[in-house]
Amino acid sequence: MAEKAILYDATKCTACRGCQVACKQWNENDEVIPTEENGVASKNWGSYENPPDLSPTTWLKMRFTEIEAGGKVRWLFTRQACMHCTDAGCVRVCPNGSLYHHELGFVAYNKDTCTGCGYCIDACPFDVPRSTRNIITGIAKMDKCTFCTTPGLDRIAEGWEPACVKTCPTGALKYGDRDDLVAEGKKRVQTLQTAGWTNANLYGENELGGLHVLYVLDDSPAIYGLPVSPQISAATIAWKDAIQPVGWAVGGLTIVGLGMNWLVARANAKKEAK
Amino acid sequence: MTHHEVEKYRKPIRVLHWIHSGAFVLLFLTGLILFIPGLGFLAEDSWTRVIHRVGAAIFVIIPIIYLVINPRSVARGLKLAFTWNSDDIGWLKAAPRYYFLGDESGMPPQGEMNTGQKMWWFIVVVFGVLFVITGVIMWFAKASAPPALLQWMVFIHDISFIVSGAMLFVHIYLGVFHPLMTDAWSAITGGKVSAEYARKHHGKWYAEISKGKEEA
Ligand code: HEM
Ligand code: SF4
Repeated sequence: MAEKAILYDATKCTACRGCQVACKQWNENDEVIPTEENGVASKNWGSYENPPDLSPTTWLKMRFTEIEAGGKVRWLFTRQACMHCTDAGCVRVCPNGSLYHHELGFVAYNKDTCTGCGYCIDACPFDVPRSTRNIITGIAKMDKCTFCTTPGLDRIAEGWEPACVKTCPTGALKYGDRDDLVAEGKKRVQTLQTAGWTNANLYGENELGGLHVLYVLDDSPAIYGLPVSPQISAATIAWKDAIQPVGWAVGGLTIVGLGMNWLVARANAKKEAK
Repeated sequence: MTHHEVEKYRKPIRVLHWIHSGAFVLLFLTGLILFIPGLGFLAEDSWTRVIHRVGAAIFVIIPIIYLVINPRSVARGLKLAFTWNSDDIGWLKAAPRYYFLGDESGMPPQGEMNTGQKMWWFIVVVFGVLFVITGVIMWFAKASAPPALLQWMVFIHDISFIVSGAMLFVHIYLGVFHPLMTDAWSAITGGKVSAEYARKHHGKWYAEISKGKEEA
């Protein structure tokens, strides 16, 4: 089946945050309104960005960035949510396959089988997964954007587009076959470049084997707070691709070696006894 | 040779050994579940990870209690384990023929701790400390430490697991199954070994303790 993706065009986004709300509503991720009556001391931290960070119940949020360029202030908006990597750090380190690739290419997970180890949180190049966690007992459950495939709330299986895309009023979000969206994104970048945005680029086409959320940006990803060349961390590779296979080999060889010693030593002891 | 016995491990040491090794095995098994993908389903809903933390608390607290009650015994054990001489080199050379073929000819007489036991002490001390440092960081700093640090902690925890886990198999095998280690099990359960075993396996030590008796 053709891989699916979301195309986010930052130049069309007005940061209305309809996607944020639709995501919460569809996925039943209620959150208290941060007021003092609700026990949350809300404070003005100098930005319209709200809530300030992703959380186990906030899988998608818009990041607001202010930059000064050519004596003018620009106010930039970026989507912050799981990128649904082809080479996904989280899938690599998940100890029991709770995180996996959906047949349409993006990264889904089974919350029921999640062990709460939190390895995915540290392995994600985009700092996306979040978990509830009791720091003493270690009991935890991880959450992130499921590409609207949460069991019981699976829009994709119904042939619908994700909730965020459905709600976007400006057409900044689009859902479709990944190949089509890559082509469309490139066209959009070209249009921007001819209009004078020389740094315009399509983010996500090749990063980490290809992301399933593509970004049309009018400037460098760094300015938008995105890693310019996201990588699987050296620790992930050293741990999962080197030391764990070595561990299985060492364990196996030790047992075989001891078994051989036992056979030889016992035969000798018997000979000696006679 | 009469059938009298000599004391190898006093009771507090045996109690320490069994509680500490019990915690270690618990940590080994609950860690193994995260290490082998096919076993990962057992860790669902965090409960083996809770047991890992209970095991870790025992693993840390029990030796500390022992150290407070009996610092001299700990100092003595460490001194024995970390004092090496030419007989230890001799042991290393003679060990393969001895442990496979039962050939004692090249084996120098050993003290209270033979070279293999010294090496196991070394592994327990070094990797025990590494387990605790890396484990405590992963446990309590999970929400605050930088992701890269936490990932390298798992990496070092895994190296410790591989080395000490493989050596744990060797340790159990020698203590329980090896045809020549006839009295090792009774030494760590009841505390005593036969004089014959002590003389053959820990010649220098046996000479020391029997001399002491004659003088007394
Ligand atoms: C004070 C001692 C120890 C502490 C505090 C500790 C703590 C931890 C923590 C926090 C984790 C990460 C997963 C989680 O959050 O549950 C972990 C994983 C693990 N632990 Fe320990 N641990 C200790 C000792 C040991 C020992 C003695 C062994 C084995 C003999 C062991 C084997 C493992 C293994 C194999 C893993 C999984 C690593 C992986 O996923 O690759 N741990 N431990
Ligand atoms: S962005 Fe992070 S959580 Fe999402 S697929 Fe990539 S590694 Fe996994």
